[in-house]
Amino acid sequence: MPEGVPQNSAFMIAAYVVTAVILVGYAVILYRRTLKP
Amino acid sequence: MKLLKTGRWITGIGLVLLAAVYVRALAFTPVERFQGPAQKIYYVHVPSAVVSMMAMGLVGLAGILFLLLKDQRFDRFGEASAEVGTAFSVVMLTTGPIWAKPIWGTWWTWDARLTLTLFLFLLFLGYLLLRGAVTDPGLKARYSAVLGICGLVLLPFIHLSVYLFRTLHPQPIVLKPSAPSLPGEMLMTLLMSFVVFVILYVGFVMQRYALSLLREEAPHA
Repeated sequence: MPEGVPQNSAFMIAAYVVTAVILVGYAVILYRRTLKP
Repeated sequence: MKLLKTGRWITGIGLVLLAAVYVRALAFTPVERFQGPAQKIYYVHVPSAVVSMMAMGLVGLAGILFLLLKDQRFDRFGEASAEVGTAFSVVMLTTGPIWAKPIWGTWWTWDARLTLTLFLFLLFLGYLLLRGAVTDPGLKARYSAVLGICGLVLLPFIHLSVYLFRTLHPQPIVLKPSAPSLPGEMLMTLLMSFVVFVILYVGFVMQRYALSLLREEAPHA
């Protein structure tokens, strides 16, 4: 990474993990709910 | 049920494409010089915000059509779109503060844009709570339609809030009258992410709509 660029990768990773957890989690919940409506 | 299977397939494809967007955003899109890697949160935050607003807009339109035509399909669609919109608004409301902390130095500020988007989330929640609380199907559909229309009215205020009020939130750099002020590679990643979020929205709504149909067919299950 070029010099002088802020080092804040942890925030980026956290946001991407949270997004994946919410979207995949909702997909799984929907799948389970449609198996036993 | 064909609708359910198609919805599952579209959701599956959407999740695979989401992984591809992650790879493109994290490994093949340049890092912005002033904000650093945290700027890349933009590629999930903005599409989730746009899809949340789109979902509420469609809930409102479905509400108008239900009140005009008394067709249950619009009520079912509104319910599905509201639940899916809630999921996307949770993404918006969690990724926003995670971006804000390193860039603004604070997780949250009560400015117009942030407060109105929180209000959008609360409207989604209120819509779902209302549907759970009212037992009469006719009243439930009518009250939900009215609340959905209230949500539709809120949307222009959210979009224009960065122009109407003094706010920390950045102004639109793509959804604006002039050309997008974003380098080509970043713009392409953002557009790809937006398409994937819309695909996921469609897949989720199809499944949620099918779930309503299944529940109506087997009400005592």
